[in-house]
Amino acid sequence: MPKKGCLGCSFPVVIGVSIVLLALTVISLLSGALGSSFFGDLGLPSWLTVPKPTIQLPAETVFHLFGFPITNSIITAWLSIIVLVGIAYAVTHRIKLIPSRLQSLLEFAIEWMLNLCVDVAGEKNGRRFFPIVTTIFLFVIMNAWLSLLPGFGSILITNAEGETVHLLRGANTDINMPLALALISFVFVEYHGIRSLGGWHYMKKFVNVGQFFRSLGQLFRGKLKAGLSGLFTGAIDIFVGMLEALSEIVRIVSFTFRLFGNMTGGEILILMMLFLAPWVLALPFYGLELLVGLVQAIVFGGLTLVFATVAVTPHGGEIA
Amino acid sequence: METETMRMLAAGLCMGLGAIGPGIGVGLVGLGALQALGRNPEARGPIMTNMILAIAFAEAVAIYALVVAVVLIFVA
Repeated sequence: MPKKGCLGCSFPVVIGVSIVLLALTVISLLSGALGSSFFGDLGLPSWLTVPKPTIQLPAETVFHLFGFPITNSIITAWLSIIVLVGIAYAVTHRIKLIPSRLQSLLEFAIEWMLNLCVDVAGEKNGRRFFPIVTTIFLFVIMNAWLSLLPGFGSILITNAEGETVHLLRGANTDINMPLALALISFVFVEYHGIRSLGGWHYMKKFVNVGQFFRSLGQLFRGKLKAGLSGLFTGAIDIFVGMLEALSEIVRIVSFTFRLFGNMTGGEILILMMLFLAPWVLALPFYGLELLVGLVQAIVFGGLTLVFATVAVTPHGGEIA
Repeated sequence: METETMRMLAAGLCMGLGAIGPGIGVGLVGLGALQALGRNPEARGPIMTNMILAIAFAEAVAIYALVVAVVLIFVA
């Protein structure tokens, strides 16, 4: 008779895992903040209780390098750069026509991003936008996912002022990193707009005075009715142009706060769940954090791509 | 009322009221995407991609409210 199992494991394994999970749930409910509010102080050993989390929004400096304070988020950004370059080197230094497993994985990711770029921006522009969009995507996703590794926030170090700080902290939770990425994205979009359309033609999208002056000329030449209606349209055009310019600038703020808010909110959520019931309650939120990291990376890269595509479209084209 | 109480109240109200709009917005995006998917199941790829993008846009406003609430509690 074939061995019956559940979820692919034999029955004893399933029963063992369920018992361990049940024990962890009981311990976590007792030792967390939920337990202490129901049962009062149970006098558990100090390694079972979780202290109230202190959340600090600015990143703490770990050491100083040539006068610059190096914060723990910069160290994590360096770590994700090292991991990304390491993976790329390991895959490409002996690149094969029939790919190995790691090479196929990376080829899948790169090809997916290339298809996205070409789908959104067309063949020629898609390939031109591909490097920066993929770099932003890979950097954001590596920053987000590295901070979910177990033991990431547990390494403590005493810095020069004598305080005990975490050595590593997710780079997207320091507001400077999303701000830097948003500025890079802004410069990238403006550069490609000016390069594709020519400086003056690109600026005409924002300084839209053509209709206004044309209708002034019509007024002077005596065509009153056409002139006045054109004047009105021209005034609306100027106003809309100013709004477009404002929305370009506000895009920087929106990019920054979207990435920063999602990442910091997720980290605070996991910290609070760990405080309430240490072992068990944070597990669904870990899954949520994985998903949110992926989605935010896609959104950042995808929005950069969409704005660059809109910027290189000539003025008469359909602006979505 | 003391500042500590006011700050807590403000943070709670900020996040709570700030999540109403984006909640409805994300639901509407989902409605549109599901209706489009029902009409044309073959266009699943573009529909899902654009749905994710639109959900992230709508979600961002709720995240702004979260940032203000967090700043109210921990920084201000």
